[in-house]
Amino acid sequence: MLRRIADHLYWAARYLERAQWRSRLVDVNYHLNLEVPPRMADPWEPLLGITGEREMFAQRYTHADEASVVDFFTFDRENSSSIRSCIEAARTNLSALRNTISSEMWLQMNELYLDSRQWSPGLLASEGFSSFFTDLRNHFYSITGIIRSTMPRDLSYDFLEIGTMLERADNVARLLDVKYHYLLPRLEDIGGPSDGRQWAAVLRSASALEAFRKLYGYSIRVDRVVEILLFDPNFPRSARFSTERLAASVERVAAQNCGHLPHQLASDNLLALLRGSSASQAITDGLHEFLLKVEEQCSTISDALFSEYMTLG
Amino acid sequence: MGREGMNAQHLSNGMPELKAAALAADLPMNEMFSADGHPRPECARVVNYLLSMDTRRLAELGERAHEMFLRMGVTFNVYGNEDGSERIFPFDPVPRIIPAATWSEIEAGLIQRVRALNAFLADIYGDGAILKDGIVPRDLIIGSSQFRHAAVGIKPPHNNFVTVAGIDLVRGSDGRFYILEDNVRTPSGVSYVIENRVIMTRLMPELIRTLKVRSVEQYPADLLASLRELSPNGKSDPAVALLTPGPFNSAFFEHVFLSQQMGVDLVEGQDLVCADHKLFAKTVYGLRQMDVIYRRVDDDFLDPVVFRPDSLLGVPGLTAVLRAGNAVVANAIGTGIADDKAVFAYTPAMIRYYLNEEPILPIVETHLLRDPEVCEFVLRNLDRYVIKPTGASGGYGVVIGPQASSLELAETRARILRDPAAFIAQPVVQLSVHPTLAGGTGSTLAARHVDLRPFVLLGAKPRVLPGGLTRVALREGSLIVNSSQGGGSKDTWVLEN
Repeated sequence: MLRRIADHLYWAARYLERAQWRSRLVDVNYHLNLEVPPRMADPWEPLLGITGEREMFAQRYTHADEASVVDFFTFDRENSSSIRSCIEAARTNLSALRNTISSEMWLQMNELYLDSRQWSPGLLASEGFSSFFTDLRNHFYSITGIIRSTMPRDLSYDFLEIGTMLERADNVARLLDVKYHYLLPRLEDIGGPSDGRQWAAVLRSASALEAFRKLYGYSIRVDRVVEILLFDPNFPRSARFSTERLAASVERVAAQNCGHLPHQLASDNLLALLRGSSASQAITDGLHEFLLKVEEQCSTISDALFSEYMTLG
Repeated sequence: MGREGMNAQHLSNGMPELKAAALAADLPMNEMFSADGHPRPECARVVNYLLSMDTRRLAELGERAHEMFLRMGVTFNVYGNEDGSERIFPFDPVPRIIPAATWSEIEAGLIQRVRALNAFLADIYGDGAILKDGIVPRDLIIGSSQFRHAAVGIKPPHNNFVTVAGIDLVRGSDGRFYILEDNVRTPSGVSYVIENRVIMTRLMPELIRTLKVRSVEQYPADLLASLRELSPNGKSDPAVALLTPGPFNSAFFEHVFLSQQMGVDLVEGQDLVCADHKLFAKTVYGLRQMDVIYRRVDDDFLDPVVFRPDSLLGVPGLTAVLRAGNAVVANAIGTGIADDKAVFAYTPAMIRYYLNEEPILPIVETHLLRDPEVCEFVLRNLDRYVIKPTGASGGYGVVIGPQASSLELAETRARILRDPAAFIAQPVVQLSVHPTLAGGTGSTLAARHVDLRPFVLLGAKPRVLPGGLTRVALREGSLIVNSSQGGGSKDTWVLEN
């Protein structure tokens, strides 16, 4: 496989995951704040913290309210991480891959892209916020479903998987970092009852609410939220699960090179970090510090894979 | 359906007007109707089929085709167009029919022609016999911007310079096919031929079956076979790739399509590197040696060491690799001299010189303005000729005398006087017309000018795609069929028998 192709696969997958992630953030926050009373005076502003885009936002919008943040996250062409821009970027990368990916995947991606070109903020009013984001989510589910059911499990699949899982682990760490900071100023609240609606929304942003209830029942405790989002080996959006999948792909890619494995893989440290800790320990030692390590490891892995397999030099 | 209903449809879809127009004298040949107003025998079934449809159904077919192309991403990029640069090549659902006997003559003529062009290239980049014998003037070749001194002495396997050729044909008012121009650099359009057929098999499946239309899907396999036959150093399993300028090239879709169909890598210049007089691709596990490159990058950009030093699309050192015989590019470097529009005038002589045969297909009469007497005559009758710059392709810079304004004519005259050798003149050919959906909703069928670009492959043996790309000038009266200038395409049906 050409190095440039590996690069396109990696980025296409990251952008798709990012677009998907952001559409859930916006959708969940919208529904959270439909009913009174919102916990915070300005319920949309914290979203900018999760994605680390306060500065970029402030350069072009005066006030962070529903209309401006939704526009920034969804439609804004100038924001390279808006859902629209991510879709376009994913599609640009995939267009260089049309003889690598399945034609079904291309058709679905192209359809989403063509739709997104017609988007405007007015669409949310005319179509309804919910149905817009439900449609969008279904589009993403079709694409990921098509990838799973049409692509051979070869190098191409592994590079897609690497991009997806890195983005996913990174996103969940950032989400938790920001929400924890906002929602939990006092240590004694840990393990006790907390703002259930807010934490339910956090879980919902990671599609984890139903899985949580199955595991832990109705009442939401913060350490259990941390457990399912970071350390659960079975929940498909946890940092641990994503890293296991990432590591498996990294290992397959490495193993196919003349059949021997290097003694150190790029994903080893992150995997050890997540396998070797738990919610209670991470919280005791300082969750923010732990999450920073996760985020750092994500970018270290990315850099290592780039120089090993993707840069053209 | 009653007789009356049939008549009503009959009137609404424009067919009677077409018939009447075909009856009128002094008009271009209508490919579907003979001069007496009856459908030509090979077209009778298609005409009946079209008559059975009302305008709305026809327009629906056109819209469905458009939708399918868009969803499939069958698009081309338009240069210098910032907003949404991807366009659909407009597609007309009315098929063009070529009977078996007509096609077999065209096919023989094309093979003959490409063999002669190939022999010419092998000659001028080798011994130059045709120049020594004075058949083609030496200064016309050596002085041309398309003659690549860097290609002298590079011998591709089997002396194969032209692996892929697209030969443009037009049909005159006498019904004969004429060669309008040759394209032996990086001709494009074949992907539309194949995709058009995919669409038509969905729109008119029964018609295709009953008429016994010859398949076009063999092309990618034929192309790959031809490329593999060029394997250097007798390698039995050569590594083949398609070299593209990248996603911003107007024909990028085709590059994707062909590499996908052939199952070979689609590479850009940055994916390749030359070392030790060999060519390598940069893969995730290191360098992999490459043997045959189907390149869709022009000579000028292919190797910055030898050609344009500012090119980022090419591979530095590639020419040296080719000279060492460790890789092959198709088409070879320097083939542009064979489709130069001034050299075109000598192509019948080439066929006689190299093959000792009479040309099967005539060329459109071509005058070289480098000859002062000819130039003077043409300048006096400028409004009666088509003027073409010798070096350009894609319809750029072409002036059609009878349709040009007096200002355009004056400008053309000035340009010719500045450098007469850079131009040729051809009489205006009354391109044949074909019933075509005139476009828009409520559209009717109307006669539009068409041409034909068949594709010829030359490996160890020649292989010709049945039919080719029929391009149609969608604007009324227009003679320019290029996609860059508002042309569309039709599916071309070569009948089995």
